[in-house]
Amino acid sequence: MTTATERPGGAAPPESTSHQRGALTGTGTLLRFMVRRDRVRLPAWVLGLTVLWAYFANAIGAVMDAESLAGMATMAANPVMALIGGPGYGFDDITVARLVAGFYALYLMLGAAFMSITTVSRHTRVEEQTGRAELVRANVLGRHAQLTAALIMATVMNLLVAGLTGLVTLGSTIEPPPEAGPSLLMGAGIGAAGLAFAGVAAITTQLSAFSRAGSGIAGAVLGAAFVVRGIGDMSTTQNGGLGWLSWLSPLGWSQQTAPFTLDRWWPLLLSVALAVAGAAVGYALQTRRDLAAGVLPDRLGSARAATWLRSTLALAYRLQRPSLVGWSMAMVLAGVTFGAFAQPMQEGAADMPEEIVTVMGGAEGILEGYLGFMGIYFALIVAVYVVLSVQSLRGEEQGVRAEPVLATAVSRSSWLGSWTAVTAAGALWLLLLAGLGQGVGAVLGTGDWGLFGPVVLGNAVHVAAAWLFLGLAVALYGLAPRLLGLVWIVFVYGTVLSLFGEMLEFDRAVLDTSPFQHVGQHPADEISWGAVGILTAVGALLVGAGAAGFRRRDLVTA
Amino acid sequence: MSSTGPAKGESPAIDISGVTKNYGKVTALDGLDLEVARGEVHGFLGPNGAGKSTTMRILLGILRHDAGTVRMLGGDPWSDAVALHRRLAYVPGDVELWPNLTGGEAIDLFARLRGGVDAAKRDELVERFDLDPRKKGRTYSKGNRQKVALISALASDVDLLLLDEPTAGLDPLMEVVFQECVREAKEAGVTVLLSSHILAQVEILADRISIIRKGTVVESGTLQDLRHLSRTTVTALTDKPLTELARRQGVHDLHAEGQQTRFEVDAEYLPTIMRDLASHDVQALTATPPTLEQLLLRHYGDELGGAGSNGSHDGGSASNGSRKRRAGKARAGRNEVAS
Repeated sequence: MTTATERPGGAAPPESTSHQRGALTGTGTLLRFMVRRDRVRLPAWVLGLTVLWAYFANAIGAVMDAESLAGMATMAANPVMALIGGPGYGFDDITVARLVAGFYALYLMLGAAFMSITTVSRHTRVEEQTGRAELVRANVLGRHAQLTAALIMATVMNLLVAGLTGLVTLGSTIEPPPEAGPSLLMGAGIGAAGLAFAGVAAITTQLSAFSRAGSGIAGAVLGAAFVVRGIGDMSTTQNGGLGWLSWLSPLGWSQQTAPFTLDRWWPLLLSVALAVAGAAVGYALQTRRDLAAGVLPDRLGSARAATWLRSTLALAYRLQRPSLVGWSMAMVLAGVTFGAFAQPMQEGAADMPEEIVTVMGGAEGILEGYLGFMGIYFALIVAVYVVLSVQSLRGEEQGVRAEPVLATAVSRSSWLGSWTAVTAAGALWLLLLAGLGQGVGAVLGTGDWGLFGPVVLGNAVHVAAAWLFLGLAVALYGLAPRLLGLVWIVFVYGTVLSLFGEMLEFDRAVLDTSPFQHVGQHPADEISWGAVGILTAVGALLVGAGAAGFRRRDLVTA
Repeated sequence: MSSTGPAKGESPAIDISGVTKNYGKVTALDGLDLEVARGEVHGFLGPNGAGKSTTMRILLGILRHDAGTVRMLGGDPWSDAVALHRRLAYVPGDVELWPNLTGGEAIDLFARLRGGVDAAKRDELVERFDLDPRKKGRTYSKGNRQKVALISALASDVDLLLLDEPTAGLDPLMEVVFQECVREAKEAGVTVLLSSHILAQVEILADRISIIRKGTVVESGTLQDLRHLSRTTVTALTDKPLTELARRQGVHDLHAEGQQTRFEVDAEYLPTIMRDLASHDVQALTATPPTLEQLLLRHYGDELGGAGSNGSHDGGSASNGSRKRRAGKARAGRNEVAS
């Protein structure tokens, strides 16, 4: 081509020296299209996070008086709270603003990070995986236009979150009224964490040809970022030497801005730098790979099924195994971590606010109380596993993978029953692992081997509550699959009552409506075997009802 | 085709009568009748959305019918599902596999859940269909997912194959392999219900054909019986145009342009017309069978059709009468009355 003509669309011909410009051609059009596609999703994320933050910022101040605030400060100095909250800047002279910034902001950062990861994945890898990207790329569109547009979109979403949460902080009822600078820094920290993970996702979406794998890797990075800064913050509150670990985490950077205490903006430069570096690596990887291909190779598997894979039970196990492996690791890790706090918990009992000590069963038995309370905590987590598993079962049906199985000599009861049995066993397995982890952690800290058995048992018996949720979910799935989501309402209700019910001084009768309330927080309480039996029986009855419903209804077909 | 008729005293492999299925206000099946004799390959032909898959799924006990009776291999598809499924294999038109299981694992699993896999047969089929069974389900193309289901079904020792548009997404070479496999199954005495929306596909394999339209079977019989339906399109290149053919019985829509003549001819008159053509120094000749869409358009005035075009295209009183007879209990609806 000797006469390079200017085209109206601004597309540079291939020979153009302006390589970068060519690679980005069409970004603007694509971005408008993405916004159009996400006209519900985008505001839902941004406003959802803003509303959640507005709740934290206003509710905490409303329920805390000076005394309970001081109690919270002591509590937050505890390593467990540092792990799940933050470094606690300014907690020695605590205000509501410092508490909100030092403890609750972390969860907004996690939310913003999830928002970024899913947004980048949705508009890049998912498009490639479904083949839609090929159609789009066949038009006048640069190589990097899709990634660029997705990153711009994620950036804008995070800027909106940053701005809105900042304004919400400024306009909140917090006393004394927050100043503008720290308020906006607060929001900026949340947005910066999201931005950093947009950069992480720019890399991870290049790695695998499948969106779930890419998002999974980004999620693992997020998990690691949470744990690493948690260990660093724990060390800081204990005057240990590992405080530098907090500086290895993007979540840590945002927390190190310490709004309302140190008010430093510069740690956010690290977040921005990570976002830019992530984008640069993402572009480089994208240049080196084919469309729809991953950087990591997809391995070949077995040409034959293992001999044990010959029943619905085996199939259910095979399909649930990957998720069980992940959950198992999380349970052991979390179990050991929480178990290890048994000892510092006991030592710090005297300094903790009275409400917390009450929840844990009083200063006398704080060790057993803490471990017993953690049993409830893990029961809640396993209930989540159980409900997610039943939702995957529904996914099997909706994805038309149930149909070919049920077209073989497999009854509906056996298909549903096998999945339920594997999940029920999985719930028990996970609670045993959690108990084992806590037992080991507690024994390591206290040196008291007598704790081990009771802690394992105390966790395991909570499986009855998880089984009740399994029954509830299966019943809804069998009888009215569209209403399966309702089980989450019951779950949230039970969670709120179990975790905050006593603190909020609810009536005993109200507390007793939570399924998690009856088994007893062993080793602090005696185990109520009657409750274990009743919960299990009700769960089994509900599974039966679900199976009966499932036998009678049409399968969802494509 | 006498060999394919039902043996005396033996119930048909599939016997559906007056079956209705509603989804809310939508009627998917409207008094459907279908009979498939043991050992026959039965073509189940209909346009998309006519109710083929719904029928298959009722036979599988995956969907419940609202009215009518269904018997399959002497049992009730809904209540005897498990026992019946030991004796049949099903291939859907859209196979979905588990993303993390390999094709080989899925083949073995389906066959084992049916009652067992013939390992030698399985390996032979994997070879013939040219499938790499080590790949994960998520990496297969649509055609390859289809192969997985086909191999698993054909490697199982069953009495009945329910194949719902099984070759969608297969390339023509694999289509030929599929046809060989179905013939082998038939020789082994297997009954096959093969659905498709492409007439030519079914014609090659089927002993008998049923045509479904808007949830009702409108035609059923051997290919011989249905010959009145097929009108072949003939294009011939001759020295002189063959305009005089236009006056012959059974010839329709003749267009002559230079040396090329194009016309449609009713199947029953095809031999006569071909003999005539032989005397005209034909230099090139193509004959194309009608597509299902043309056929339904011509006989039922679907989509484009009104009563007028229906009448003008009608091939003659013989085919008309035959159609009414064949349609039997199953009323085809408005267009039937109009013609």
